[in-house]
Amino acid sequence: MNDAMVVQVSMRRLGAFALALCLIGVPVPARPQGSEEQLRRELDAVKEQLRRVEQQMKQQDELIRRLSGERPAAPAAPPAVTAPARPPGGPPPTAGTTVDVEELKRIILGEIQPQLAASNKTFPSQFNPAIGFIVDTVFSHTRQNKSNFEFRSAEIGISAAIDPFARAYGIINGTPDGVEVEEAAIVTTSLPWNLTVKGGRFFADFGRLSTFHDHDLPFVNRPLVLDQYVGGESQADGVEVNWLAPIDHYLSLTAGMYNKIGAENDRVDNGVSRDLSEFTYLLRAATSFSFHDEHSLDVGVSDAFTPEVRIANKKSRNLAGLDFTYRYTPLASAGYRGFVWGNELLFNRESREVGPDTGDFKRRNAFGMYSYVEARLSRRFYPGFLFEYVEDIDGPSRTIKQYSPYITFWPSEFQRLRLQYTHTDGPGRSDDGFFLQWTAIIGSHVHSFRDR
Amino acid sequence: MMRRLLLLLVGLVALLPSDAGAAKKLRVVATIPDLADITKQVAGDLVDVSSIATGVEDIHAVPMKPSFAVVLNRADAIVLMGLEAEHAFLPALLEASRNPRIQRDTPGYIDASVYVRPLEVPTRLDRSLGDIHPMGNPHYNLDPGNGKNIVRAIVEGLSRLDAGNAGTFKKNGDAYVAKLEEAMARWQQQAAPLKGKKFVTYHPDFIYFAERFGMVQFGTIEIRPGVDPTPAHVADLIEKMRQAKVELVIRELHYPASLAATVAQSAGARLVELPAMTRGVPEAKDYISFVDYNVRTLVKAATGG
Repeated sequence: MNDAMVVQVSMRRLGAFALALCLIGVPVPARPQGSEEQLRRELDAVKEQLRRVEQQMKQQDELIRRLSGERPAAPAAPPAVTAPARPPGGPPPTAGTTVDVEELKRIILGEIQPQLAASNKTFPSQFNPAIGFIVDTVFSHTRQNKSNFEFRSAEIGISAAIDPFARAYGIINGTPDGVEVEEAAIVTTSLPWNLTVKGGRFFADFGRLSTFHDHDLPFVNRPLVLDQYVGGESQADGVEVNWLAPIDHYLSLTAGMYNKIGAENDRVDNGVSRDLSEFTYLLRAATSFSFHDEHSLDVGVSDAFTPEVRIANKKSRNLAGLDFTYRYTPLASAGYRGFVWGNELLFNRESREVGPDTGDFKRRNAFGMYSYVEARLSRRFYPGFLFEYVEDIDGPSRTIKQYSPYITFWPSEFQRLRLQYTHTDGPGRSDDGFFLQWTAIIGSHVHSFRDR
Repeated sequence: MMRRLLLLLVGLVALLPSDAGAAKKLRVVATIPDLADITKQVAGDLVDVSSIATGVEDIHAVPMKPSFAVVLNRADAIVLMGLEAEHAFLPALLEASRNPRIQRDTPGYIDASVYVRPLEVPTRLDRSLGDIHPMGNPHYNLDPGNGKNIVRAIVEGLSRLDAGNAGTFKKNGDAYVAKLEEAMARWQQQAAPLKGKKFVTYHPDFIYFAERFGMVQFGTIEIRPGVDPTPAHVADLIEKMRQAKVELVIRELHYPASLAATVAQSAGARLVELPAMTRGVPEAKDYISFVDYNVRTLVKAATGG
């Protein structure tokens, strides 16, 4: 035997050994241990099992036949508070079939459980707040300031319930001047006696359009009177309590206390602590009247009182406002026809410095207003006209008047184009401007009660 | 002196809970007259029912009036269509109502859609598809077959709030469902000529109705739900309607008349004007007569009457 043969033989042996190992390892069906009796017993058992399955199938067939003759609806009542799962269908709960339906439901649910479980994944982001994003951009051309693409704002709004007792929202606004927290507030949702309390930074409940964000205004620019008297939006750091009177007529009362009111109001610095007399206190009452379902008039009066304005030699300031909005909303075509007449009148009483750094203060009473009409001609076109009259807050004899026809075009509910012309008559100057505004919203949006 | 004072006090106390002894009626606000009517059928005089919409509105554009906030402030329950049908007004009104009893997922929040099998549930949520409803088409009240599903949700909802009368609600509900079933046999018979008929609507309001009576929605005048058409879309729709021989254009009464008429005329189809809610026309004074009106008017148009 040479070496090669030795290797060949040992390989063959190894093969046989491996085969033997496999045979031992592989589970072989249990063979009858020679007894025919046992084989018969096993066969009987299989037959019995088969018979049971057949019987079960017959029962199910019968059930299906019964069910297919009837329309769906009906199992047991779901738990009270949570929304019940939509039932796959079943017969009305007549006696005799109820139990079968329950059984069938169990069988079906059992069968599809793996698929249900697969779709019941949890996501770590599930509790993230609703997020919306708004882009507002304007191309402007005025005789005095030439032309510009104004990037107005890119605004992120987020909101969610905090717990059973309160919700929170935030509006973060990016403009060419930087990123600012425009609003970040906590609002209670379950106080008794129709009360809500709001705290943080928010738009104080002064007047009507002061509480609108720029992109929500019915026209391109914020009315001058709100810019000059309120200081843009009525942004305020503070706390506000609102009460809905428990009577048949709508009456809402607000009381607030803030560092100051007005995003661009530079009379007070938000970052400096102050005496109680240096806060701004607000009272507002708002109501609404309906006539014949389709006509309504909303009326509000507001008063913001600052006992001592820090920079103004600690003199008091009082800003009072009256707002009224008439609406015609034909119920059967509210999306296509309508008319709004909105007005705000503001009175400012304040000691103002006669000239820069003179230290000489003089009591000034100034009055300003705007009035606009807007018609809804179709779901897409809303033409309007805005008139403004403002007395200069430092010298009421200097007045500005503005006339602005405009038209808004809505390609859809989430996108808007607006063209506006504004003629300004001011002390010693007049100006003409054209504005083209393009605004869009993506993500979550809400139709809020205030912005109606 | 003391005795008189005591007597006076007893008298005053006796006066105080003037309505505590008498069973207080539940105050139920429904969003639309269909739900108000069905609630009335289920509860009879056991509850006071009112409706926010009058029936002529577009359910997606019901004006948000401050007076509704007051009504909701005092309500024990709100009965709503759900499936986000009332998105444009209800969430804001509920917030303005300050009423913790009727907020979402509380016992007083009665969503009539819980037993409805929704149609047109979007597989993709994207606003390029229009103002779509994430949970499916919410206009299920147009199909009377959903009547019993609405009844069931309302019976359960009211029984949560007034367990003592649960038996009555159930009994009334069953009786009303029997009435609906009887009417359904009639509607099915009447609507036989509608089977297979293709139609175009302004907004996909009639999808449930179509499924019930075997009609086929061919298209909508809106380019996407909630988005008005472009001229190109209208031209394209008319052309396709001609090719497919679409015979009916349904205008829901809260959509513009002229465009629907133009589409119908250009495509050689008949124009039918229908309400999308109970009380949308004077004849539709309750839910059953509303379905009666729609079936009757459509059949008349489809058979050239």
